[in-house]
Amino acid sequence: MKNAPSPAHWLRWFDPRYRQPGTWGYILNRITAIGLTIYLVLHLGVLSTLAKGPGAYDSFITLVKSPGFMLGELLVVAGGIIHGTNGIRIVLNSFGVGVRDQKVILAILMALSIIGIAYFAYVMFLVD
Amino acid sequence: MKNKPVPEKWTVTFIVSRQKGQGKRHFEQFNLEVDPEEYVLDGIERIWAFHDRSLTFRHACHHSTCGACGMLVNGVEKLTCITPIRSVTKDSGTLRVEPLRNFPVVSDLAVDMASFYLNLEKAQFSQVAPIQNASLPFEDQSMEGDLERLVDCIECGMCVSACPAAHTSSGYLGPGALAAFQHSLNQKNDPRLYDLVDCHDGPWRCHNAFECSAVCPSNVDPAWRIMNLRRKIVSHRLRRLFKRREAAKP
Amino acid sequence: MAGMISKPKQHETVWLWLYKLLSGVVIVVLLSVHFVVNHLVAPGGLLTYADILRYYSNPIVPVMEIAFLVFAVTHSFVGMRSIFLDLNPSPRLIRFVDWALVFLGGGAIVYGTWLVLLIASGG
Repeated sequence: MKNAPSPAHWLRWFDPRYRQPGTWGYILNRITAIGLTIYLVLHLGVLSTLAKGPGAYDSFITLVKSPGFMLGELLVVAGGIIHGTNGIRIVLNSFGVGVRDQKVILAILMALSIIGIAYFAYVMFLVD
Repeated sequence: MKNKPVPEKWTVTFIVSRQKGQGKRHFEQFNLEVDPEEYVLDGIERIWAFHDRSLTFRHACHHSTCGACGMLVNGVEKLTCITPIRSVTKDSGTLRVEPLRNFPVVSDLAVDMASFYLNLEKAQFSQVAPIQNASLPFEDQSMEGDLERLVDCIECGMCVSACPAAHTSSGYLGPGALAAFQHSLNQKNDPRLYDLVDCHDGPWRCHNAFECSAVCPSNVDPAWRIMNLRRKIVSHRLRRLFKRREAAKP
Repeated sequence: MAGMISKPKQHETVWLWLYKLLSGVVIVVLLSVHFVVNHLVAPGGLLTYADILRYYSNPIVPVMEIAFLVFAVTHSFVGMRSIFLDLNPSPRLIRFVDWALVFLGGGAIVYGTWLVLLIASGG
């Protein structure tokens, strides 16, 4: 029946309408988890250039310094920071810390994440 | 001499979800004149009484004790008998009413709650318990003596409707049942309960969205109870692990 | 019918969940270290093959990187499995996915460890 729970409803996980801040955290955590897993696979894959000797690796590095690639890396760093702070929220909550103030803690952690990501963007694009 | 205030009259368009049998779900509109102090459930009843007798919905106590009238009002779970119309819409506004999510629709606004009740039953919790067991630890328990009270859960199912994990898994015990397990462990520390709840349909399916506690009309705080349940399971399993190690020592 | 409670599916108990949390915390630490030394300690970051060889000549580095690899792969795969379990799959499907994850995860760890040892031994 249409309203019953079903794996076909998986898109609803990512529907943020009328949702609590905790669900925003859940949605971000899920998206970054999948993104970071894909990155992990790719990262391990490209490291195979190391096995092919200095030529292969060094030419790969020149590719990495291109702006498109660096934007991708910034997204990965952003994903990592968001996933990490959300994970800390879950660890804290599961061990009884801040369950009643979970909205405030989420806001603080997200603010820290944004600051962290902005700092990384600054270092990546403006310092080098 | 102060005159009795004249009740306001608003015109509100109710947009009600309809579904009969295997037919397609669709919305129907009903224009009602309502007093904004009335409750959403009053509006639904008036639609049934004066506009369409085939509208199916659940209602009983009308004072947030029975848990029958939970519905989705403008996309958010609400107990419609205590939701004033003025809190969810305005004059000449619209009011969307749908059945709870994550339960099969029986007809229109009524859903099949069987799975929810069966999950609650698995917890085997007592509806009446000593105050220290029934109340949340941070609640005021200043009443002294050997007092008992009813546990808070009115079994409305709104927590399951709001839970993102329950969208995709009918096996998931759900916030209501998990809160019941936590109650049950408070009341009687039966180790067999741990075997029932420490499974992949238990508190590990929860991902800290906290929707359940936000919509609970009755102060159960299922999310808090699920976090507490996790700790209970961890310490129980760890204690059992070390006890076995102790017992295995020569 | 009353009192008849079927045994629940034990496809994820407290241990796997606890591992996911603890490995996550370990990763936060190791990832910070991994990031700092890869990009900030070596001047300008590890930009050439020679830089990497030099970095891996310190014996604590291969140990740390292999540990990081193991925790990262296992945490990621346990997490992906949790998302999969949210879809309420059948026990047969769960068993199949479990073996696929062990195979792929194990393979990734073996491959990564081989790479680390290759570089640590001087390429």
